[in-house]
Amino acid sequence: MDAVTQNFGSVRALDSVGLEVQKGTVHALLGENGAGKTTLMRVLYGALQPQSGKVFLDGVETTLRSPAEALRHGIGMVSQHYAIIPELTALDNLMLGAEGGAILDRKAARARAQSLADSMGFQFDWDAAAAELGPAGAQKLEILKLLWREVDVMILDEPTAMLSPEDADALYASLRGLADQGRTVIVVTHRLSEVTAHCDHVTILRQGKNVTDFPVGAKSQHETAELIVGKALSPSAARSCRPGEVLLETVRLDVRGDRGDVAVRQVDLGLRAGEVVGVAGVDGSGQRELVQALLGVRPVLSGAIRLVGSDITRSSARQRIALGLRGIPEDRHEEGVIDDHDLVTNATLGHQRLAAFRRGPVLDRAASRALAGKVATMFETKHSHLGQKMKELSGGNQQRFVNARALAHEAKVLVAFQPVRGLDIEATRRVYAALGEFADQGGAALVVSFDLDELLEFCDRIVVMHSGHLASPPTGHERDRTMIGAMMVGTA
Amino acid sequence: MNLKLVWLIVAGAGLVWAVVASTGTPPPDALREMFSGAFGSPQGWRETLKESTPLLVLGASVFLALKAGLFNIGADGQFVVGGLAAAVVGLRVTGPGGVVLGTLAACLAGSAWALLPGWIKAYRGGHEVITTIMMNNVGRLATTALAAGVLRAPGQQNAETPLLDASTTLPNVVQDGAFRLNWAFFIGLVAVVVTALFFSRTVAGFETAATGSNSRASLFAGIDVRRTTLAAMLVSGAVAGLAGALQVFAVKHQFNADFSPGYGFDALGVALLAAGQAWFVIPSALLFGALARGTSALSIMGVPKGLNGVLLGLVVLVFAAVRYRKEAANG
Repeated sequence: MDAVTQNFGSVRALDSVGLEVQKGTVHALLGENGAGKTTLMRVLYGALQPQSGKVFLDGVETTLRSPAEALRHGIGMVSQHYAIIPELTALDNLMLGAEGGAILDRKAARARAQSLADSMGFQFDWDAAAAELGPAGAQKLEILKLLWREVDVMILDEPTAMLSPEDADALYASLRGLADQGRTVIVVTHRLSEVTAHCDHVTILRQGKNVTDFPVGAKSQHETAELIVGKALSPSAARSCRPGEVLLETVRLDVRGDRGDVAVRQVDLGLRAGEVVGVAGVDGSGQRELVQALLGVRPVLSGAIRLVGSDITRSSARQRIALGLRGIPEDRHEEGVIDDHDLVTNATLGHQRLAAFRRGPVLDRAASRALAGKVATMFETKHSHLGQKMKELSGGNQQRFVNARALAHEAKVLVAFQPVRGLDIEATRRVYAALGEFADQGGAALVVSFDLDELLEFCDRIVVMHSGHLASPPTGHERDRTMIGAMMVGTA
Repeated sequence: MNLKLVWLIVAGAGLVWAVVASTGTPPPDALREMFSGAFGSPQGWRETLKESTPLLVLGASVFLALKAGLFNIGADGQFVVGGLAAAVVGLRVTGPGGVVLGTLAACLAGSAWALLPGWIKAYRGGHEVITTIMMNNVGRLATTALAAGVLRAPGQQNAETPLLDASTTLPNVVQDGAFRLNWAFFIGLVAVVVTALFFSRTVAGFETAATGSNSRASLFAGIDVRRTTLAAMLVSGAVAGLAGALQVFAVKHQFNADFSPGYGFDALGVALLAAGQAWFVIPSALLFGALARGTSALSIMGVPKGLNGVLLGLVVLVFAAVRYRKEAANG
């Protein structure tokens, strides 16, 4: 790609960006939120027409007017939001849109699907509904969908955000296999350790410009991180954690999952004032059900939950909010924000019944606006005005907004699910610094993440979830990466 | 972009032109006649405002449900049972007390007619469109049976109740020559204003709109989504019932088998046209009322009255095309 420029209104999202990717390599595209990574990739797979600039494919100038046209040229993308229809089977999802004729030949399709899966080392139950795929399975299915369409250039946006370390390693191993077959893989990511371990070449974007390209290994991770943010990194301040009284406690908690299984088993959790506790674990180990039960949106099967001394096992989400419990839900799109509503409404969401935001049955709109201003500035959510609709914000900015909202008003205990998903290095540090500050002022935070390195770097204490059970690493191994990794997969 | 919009409107106008021309009347004459029929005379204004009144109230009813994420196709049935309840009470209790009690009874009846669909939607996940359509049929047939049976006016062949006593009606505010304006119209305006304030100012309105836009996020925000859904349906039914009462006390002064010419369905168009802004229910209801009046004026020129439905349909279609085109462009 050469000299690609893309303006959105008066904002120059891409400023004459050039990008050169070698055939048969795994190329990492790095940069902060808003640096232009996703925009550049959308130009490459035809979803955006740049104001100027050219795209060359195998040295030939190519115009890509739509994703369909890009697909015909062998370029495809897996975005962060999977395009999988949960009700259809894995096989039907694979075929969808590329059935190859008016009459379906499921038998031939299955044979082809199986051979594609075999070539990648994937295993699928083709007749099972796609809803039953975990995030790793869905990611693999998305990759197969591109191979089904005979894609040569594959773009993956944050492919490992939802994956456990092993699944992520396995994914990169299959990407490497694709590159060895002569295909080209472009990965947009924030995880530098993955880049060092698995990629060939790096391009860094900053503020819509291509800052530098270099082969992996030419620069250290620290140097890379500094190139991404454009300045020296603030050292992550070591916190001295002095745990106080127990604020959130569960006693032999059992919670059912969506399929009727017991997803949380006999969990005893004690979260103290002053603590930021990380919950490590492979996706699907019961973290989701635990968080939802704590927040009051999923019923408890047995056991008890106590919040600041009161039993909230059967309390509604509203009562828990009144007691100072705040949540950062897993799926900010579906669970965290209302896309069609403005920032003021979204800041108020969850606070609407608290005394500070109403006078009797009437909303206090001035208080809501003040809150929205505070929420938007806390982590520098990029927005034009508070009346702007939430859907006009980028994913990263929405996440900043949701994180800030959880801490903005009379929060005592925070339960967060992947609060820095999709955030860049600097924003991640800011969020965890704010969590630390929140804990220092007497709050307590429970953070679920699938990124063990992130938890090790920022949390005071780590507990591990594996198939519904919650355990602490043994004394002396509290921050032992190998030990915790083994506990995550149940081999400790 | 804007050129496309212009084309869309031109195409819509062209369709209207073609439809009118197909009736054999020159379109310019027909449109002039329609306009003057609706606004050109005191009678025209009277009829336009009279037609707009049930549409205002029912528009507010459907709008309310729509904001909560519910498509209340049942407004027509709730309107009809509300009308019947108002007439029954009004026939037994005369005077202003009868109007008040009849109105309350109508609201309760409308709510009752929305209860089952609301409950099934909130607690069992059954789609409100299906259930409210069923309730419409039950409501229409049951009220007709009653009007033809036990409630039929003595000595009457038609399925209709006796007329209400003159003291048990809503008076006109203005009565000037052929022009009349009933209090019911102002009650309709108040219903829209209250709906607008409910959504912009109250905590309950905030929670209702949140539930309608994203029920999952609402759950995490401590909103009782099921209760909110049921409550929205009940209130929507009550407002539709209110429309029935107004129609009885201001216009019909009785209940009969043809009580609703489909106001509840026109109200769906009214609420859709309001595009999420409660205030827009007012111009939208006036437009629908004027079209209804204008086309019935046209029938003098030999144009079938069914043209009304065709034109309303076109208005809603063009509007939907404009609106959803915008949304598609926004991604």
